[in-house]
Amino acid sequence: MSTKQDALEHLRVIRSLMEKAHIYRAISAPAALLGGLLAVVCAGYTGWQMQQKGGLPETMGVLFLWQWLGILVVSSSVNVILLAREAARRGQPLVSEGMRMALRAIFPPLLVGGVLGCGLIVYLQNHILATLLWVVCYGLALLATASFSPRSLVRLGWVFVALGLALFWAYAANSDIRNMPHDDAPANLIMGLTFGLCHIGYAAAVFCSQKPEAVTQRE
Amino acid sequence: MIDFDQLDKTIHEKSRLSIMTLLATRGEWAFQELKAELGMSDGNLITHLRTLGTAGYVQESRDDSGTRPRTTYTVTPAGTKAFKSYVDVLEAIVKTINPG
Repeated sequence: MSTKQDALEHLRVIRSLMEKAHIYRAISAPAALLGGLLAVVCAGYTGWQMQQKGGLPETMGVLFLWQWLGILVVSSSVNVILLAREAARRGQPLVSEGMRMALRAIFPPLLVGGVLGCGLIVYLQNHILATLLWVVCYGLALLATASFSPRSLVRLGWVFVALGLALFWAYAANSDIRNMPHDDAPANLIMGLTFGLCHIGYAAAVFCSQKPEAVTQRE
Repeated sequence: MIDFDQLDKTIHEKSRLSIMTLLATRGEWAFQELKAELGMSDGNLITHLRTLGTAGYVQESRDDSGTRPRTTYTVTPAGTKAFKSYVDVLEAIVKTINPG
């Protein structure tokens, strides 16, 4: 093998291994904290209403969907802004190879969860099943990034999947909940528990981590 | 003109180059993870890690606190510097032979 071929082959090895070893954090901890707080406040308001009225608050119908889509849009926008800042700090484009990999991985489960969940709310008025579907699909989306995500995100994915399945089991086995006049309130509480508390816990874990998983230097 | 002797012979061996690339890209690797990623045997990987350790490019740390001992490897500052120089020389070789 000539010197040039030898050098090219070694550079190819380096490039291919660097891509394999690449780590990308798709969810910024501050954005997760903001989304988590918004979710907890929203769910907490529902809980407060239940306490005030001594039972279920009024049905929200499709407003439930708009409320949570609003929180999703705000948190996602903040996430993109923070990722863009981080990329700019490193002198890299926002849409890096890492982001492309992340988008390719998370798109299928998010598409399935989004379409089925919205359909369940709009046409079948089943808010609980919709939220459980969102929780499980979101967890699966995070797990789909396992090969290049920091461990904290993979753990978060497992927590979402486990909670989603456990809550589904509890819902399916409990006829009192299934036969409620409407299920907006428990659905809101599920969102607060999962998307709220879990994201706050994730953000806290990342902030408190003594050895932050250095996405950034590798990204 | 490139002086090919500038190529660090310790890193130039393909298995060691692979190890150095992974360690330089991601901060810390457990032995089993490195083995799985590179598809090397235990003995082969240990031999190359020892060579890199002797050169001062790789640092080993052992954690016995869990149920199973866990050995992890990181690249040292000298290793990072050597790896960067090695890649620079490779790029220079390619550019010299095929300019533009």
